[in-house]
Amino acid sequence: MKSFEADFYRLCNLLAAREPFAFNRFSDGELYILQDKELILDVQQVKVGDKVTEGIYKEEDHKRFNPQEHSFFRDRLVDAFRYTKKNYFKGLSCRCCVGEENFQWQLDFHGGYDENFTWANLLVNGNYGKFIREMYPLFSEYKTVFVCNEKAELSVMPFITKDFRVGYNAMVNDYGLIQTMKEWIDENNVRGHLFLFSASSFSKLAIHQLYDHCDLNTYIDVGTTLNAFMGMRVDRTYLKSYWLGAKGKDLHKICIW
Amino acid sequence: MIKIVTATTLPVGSTVALVELCNQFNARGLATTLYGPDVWHLDKCAAAAIDEFRPEKGDVIILNRINLVSLSELDNLPAKIAAAQKPNRFASLKDALLASAPLARKSEAFKLVLTCVGDDSCLSQATRFPLFDKIHLVHAVQRGRRSAPPSFTCPSFLRDLERSARKPEKVAGVLGSICASNRVDAAIESAFRDGMATVIVYGLMSDPVYYYRTIEPLTKGYPGRIKYAGFVTNRQKVYDSVSDVYCAVSKPGSPVQRECAATNTRFHGPDPADGGHPLSNDQIFEIWKKELEL
Repeated sequence: MKSFEADFYRLCNLLAAREPFAFNRFSDGELYILQDKELILDVQQVKVGDKVTEGIYKEEDHKRFNPQEHSFFRDRLVDAFRYTKKNYFKGLSCRCCVGEENFQWQLDFHGGYDENFTWANLLVNGNYGKFIREMYPLFSEYKTVFVCNEKAELSVMPFITKDFRVGYNAMVNDYGLIQTMKEWIDENNVRGHLFLFSASSFSKLAIHQLYDHCDLNTYIDVGTTLNAFMGMRVDRTYLKSYWLGAKGKDLHKICIW
Repeated sequence: MIKIVTATTLPVGSTVALVELCNQFNARGLATTLYGPDVWHLDKCAAAAIDEFRPEKGDVIILNRINLVSLSELDNLPAKIAAAQKPNRFASLKDALLASAPLARKSEAFKLVLTCVGDDSCLSQATRFPLFDKIHLVHAVQRGRRSAPPSFTCPSFLRDLERSARKPEKVAGVLGSICASNRVDAAIESAFRDGMATVIVYGLMSDPVYYYRTIEPLTKGYPGRIKYAGFVTNRQKVYDSVSDVYCAVSKPGSPVQRECAATNTRFHGPDPADGGHPLSNDQIFEIWKKELEL
């Protein structure tokens, strides 16, 4: 039986032991892209397939995926999702968050079970306090490269030695940055570094391709978990509960497999 | 067997002190295990999860941060600790009732020691002193707060730290858990008033709401000059990274001042400098050995 907490400590222990790994997350947004549904997240609307609701997303979170126009990027996301390698961990959307049908769809689409499947939510919800208390301090043991939005302020995190910036809808607009990063890794013989990604769907493509290119570094998709240290908004419900003390159950939520 | 049992094994000062106590005892031939509810301690010393703890005949049990009401509670400490962590608005009433309950008795099967490391509240009214054979205080000032049964004063063991080979200039460290009672914000402001260029905050995120309300706005007020590292286990690395350490609250018995002296780091805080030579680890061990009659 998979354990939400045990999987978190599995990654934490690898990090502490300086054993390189990659943690890639496929959340609901990536799930819809994998399902080849049109996706628009912006200030005016949230559109998933044919379903449209009111927009809530600020500029740095804007995302637009058109199945016809962006099929190349969807194919790269499929590559990242189906990629299998030692210590390449894939976080899936769990049945308690996206429902049984979507959860099963991911497994079927992947084709075969991967022992490195884990939760996309592994660093949030019931594990978020542990992430801040126990995993964040380990970043200081590494030369850390941060990949994030151009608006993020990184000076609070003392371990960051290099950053790469992306804009909105980075999966499409900044795809070329992956090649730039590969070249930087090669030219500078970057080994034993930690790469943290907070760049939405761009992170998924980059983590896959960079780990495939050089598996001697560690690559983690930290999503919005470090927003409080980046001058970014803490408007996700788990962030509001943790940093603002807002009422909510997210911090006690133990996701099931 | 010596069994150290604590209600928290998150990386805070008391856990670090208990890990060191466990390691020092084992290094000197006293079989010792540290039990706690979290996982941080598990690879730091001879350690086990709290639910593996069983009191056995002949044991010396050293308790920390556990307000024991009766000896029978030792048989189910996970439940006791979990219950204590839940908010309870009737806690003070419960304490008063417990204080008036019939006197408890010591165990004849094992020795029970209460250690007040990192926990001044252990000398509160609610503590059932008759259950304990000894009380361990880390500083004489704790003794004055309440007259407890037989107690002994002994500082925490000092970790192996060396003088920093090279120090940065005007980089301050604020060491301790991030919470209002530690007045981290005041320590940061004090460092900047003294002309420090940068402040690195090293400590467990105990109160994120305090951080976001108080420290995060300071990071904007002093752009690029405040950094948060979390609790970094490698203390040598911590002291090597700073020229000065700032503390805004009195913490008698805290090892930080001694560690600053050992690493050639300037200390700024309300506690007066300890006069004379600090006790060596050998001397500290001799105190424990005598008091535990080992």
